[in-house]
Amino acid sequence: MRLWRSTPVRLTATLLIVFGLSTGVGTTVTYLIARDEADTALRERVSQEFESYRRIRGQRDLVERILGEIGSVAAADLIIDYRSDSGDRFSNVAGLPSLGGLSIVAERQLPEGQTPLAESYLVVEGRVGLGNLTLARNREQVSELWSTFSVLLVVSLLPTFAIASAIGVWSARRASVRVESIGQTLRDLTEGDLEARVTDVTGGPDDLAEIAAAVNQMADAQAATMASLRQVSTDIAHDLKTPIQRVSVLLEQLEDGQLTEAQRGIVDKARAETAQIVRTFQALLQIAQIEGAGPQAAFAPVDLADVVAGIVDVYEPAAEESGHRLSFAAAAPAMVRAERSMVGQVVANLIENALRHTPPGTAIAVGVDGASLSVADGGPGIPEPERAKVLRRHYRLEQSRTSEGSGLGLSLVAAIAALHDATLQLSDNAPGLRVTLTFPTP
Amino acid sequence: MKILVIEDDPTTGAYIADGLRQEGHGVDLIPDGADGLVQASVGGYDVIVVDRMLPGLDGMAVVKTLRGAGNRVPVLMLTAVGGVNDRIEGLNAGADDYLVKPFAFGELSARLAALGRRPQMSDAPTVLKARDLEMDLLTRQVTRAGQVIDLLPREFTLLEHLLRRKGRVQTRTMLLEAVWDIHFDPQTNVVETHISRLRAKVDKPFDHDLIVTVRGAGYRIDAE
Repeated sequence: MRLWRSTPVRLTATLLIVFGLSTGVGTTVTYLIARDEADTALRERVSQEFESYRRIRGQRDLVERILGEIGSVAAADLIIDYRSDSGDRFSNVAGLPSLGGLSIVAERQLPEGQTPLAESYLVVEGRVGLGNLTLARNREQVSELWSTFSVLLVVSLLPTFAIASAIGVWSARRASVRVESIGQTLRDLTEGDLEARVTDVTGGPDDLAEIAAAVNQMADAQAATMASLRQVSTDIAHDLKTPIQRVSVLLEQLEDGQLTEAQRGIVDKARAETAQIVRTFQALLQIAQIEGAGPQAAFAPVDLADVVAGIVDVYEPAAEESGHRLSFAAAAPAMVRAERSMVGQVVANLIENALRHTPPGTAIAVGVDGASLSVADGGPGIPEPERAKVLRRHYRLEQSRTSEGSGLGLSLVAAIAALHDATLQLSDNAPGLRVTLTFPTP
Repeated sequence: MKILVIEDDPTTGAYIADGLRQEGHGVDLIPDGADGLVQASVGGYDVIVVDRMLPGLDGMAVVKTLRGAGNRVPVLMLTAVGGVNDRIEGLNAGADDYLVKPFAFGELSARLAALGRRPQMSDAPTVLKARDLEMDLLTRQVTRAGQVIDLLPREFTLLEHLLRRKGRVQTRTMLLEAVWDIHFDPQTNVVETHISRLRAKVDKPFDHDLIVTVRGAGYRIDAE
């Protein structure tokens, strides 16, 4: 019933009902008038015939004429019934009741017999000579008018209905494709795909094309805002690097002097914080750089299993120290086109996330299967509605707000995935989180 | 060593020059790319530090011109942008190493030391020694005080790297780059944990520690 919600279909249906009703009423009125005229003409004809009997002089001649007519005329065309005052009855239909007062009589009011009768008759009765004459002439011509008009009505309405319905459904389909395209674009935009645009604006300048153009304009404006926001954050990060360099220089000089153990501790803390600021800026700048980069000519064939195994090897002692069980398995290893260092960074970030957000004792399984790599942990996982959000910059789940990290790890993974045209998928590891990155196979 | 520093930011420039002088190097500091190029061509330096972004001639052009003129002096490039492609571009231009700002002085110093005294490949030794530790590169056997030490392949590579540069500081990032081919900054103490595993095998059972932590910089093999 999706089609019924479409505006063109509703319009078509309404138009068809209005058109059908008016055509029906018009045809009916025309039919009634035509039937009336046909009846009048028939009545005149029968009246004239009746008069011709009246003009006959002498009872004998009249009876002879009536008998002659009865012999030559079929009851289906004309019923002749004469009852003389003397009690004689001449009729081409046996047992005809008195039809006095009726002007139109239907077959079912006539006696049943072998005589073939018409469906309806127009009746004229009156005194002729020494008796009563009833003339009833076949009225089929008139009643046939109904079927003629019915056919006419159907013939005139059917093509109209068929063509209008077809056009209605067709334009509804066309509109629904375009509406769907607009809807999909809006959904994509909502989900953060700033590149999404309404591409199917065919169909000339109409209201839908206008809406599509407006949606595209809105998306352009949104993308421009995001780009300038990104540029601003990149500029800020860049400009702040020099002062941070100076701060770390000053802290280093402070450390070279004579300090108490407590002061040294404070300097260490300050240096660690500075290092964290630098890491955050570094990540921000790197994301901006990757997102701003075009298709990479620097991509080369990379043995996915080899890179991933190398990173797992780096993290293995650190994982053991924090009480995690880090494992690696590779099946059907494949070559992918990628920037080797970025692939390594993806795996490193995913492993670090798993180390940071799962309790000691948790298993972290890293795997390579063909052109896809995955990092799965048995930790608390990420609730389904939050999964898309964690890819945003600086987004952190409520419970991990207090832990260290810039909240940029997964954003960087997403940026690197996008640069490689790879699919990034966060799924339920039941329990825990499974992150899968699938590279396009060449 | 005789070192040329081409850096336009006065604070960073002075910081580098002062630090290097304190370590006993002869340092010339020049805040401009074109002047720096001239000085580099005639000065006879052991190693050059050049900022990537300079007024006039930028760092990339300085290095390219030097290399084009056949000057093979080791160059370390400093930069505020640290993307993968920037590093590759810098190295392709002819720089020998690449350091992203902000950096600790220890990092710069260790890298300059590595550049100034690159290991001589001509006298390829088959046995590396430090005190009572011996590493046979052919049999891949490590012994200390006559005892065989079992090392995993990665631990062997790490120890080999340190032994080949004994006495010289190797920073975390230098080790990450050389041993694991990692060119980003992990947020976990991965190098520390690898070193502590290596120590457990190489140092713990013995009286004297060979692997020394250099505060604020990195690690070195104590070769005294």
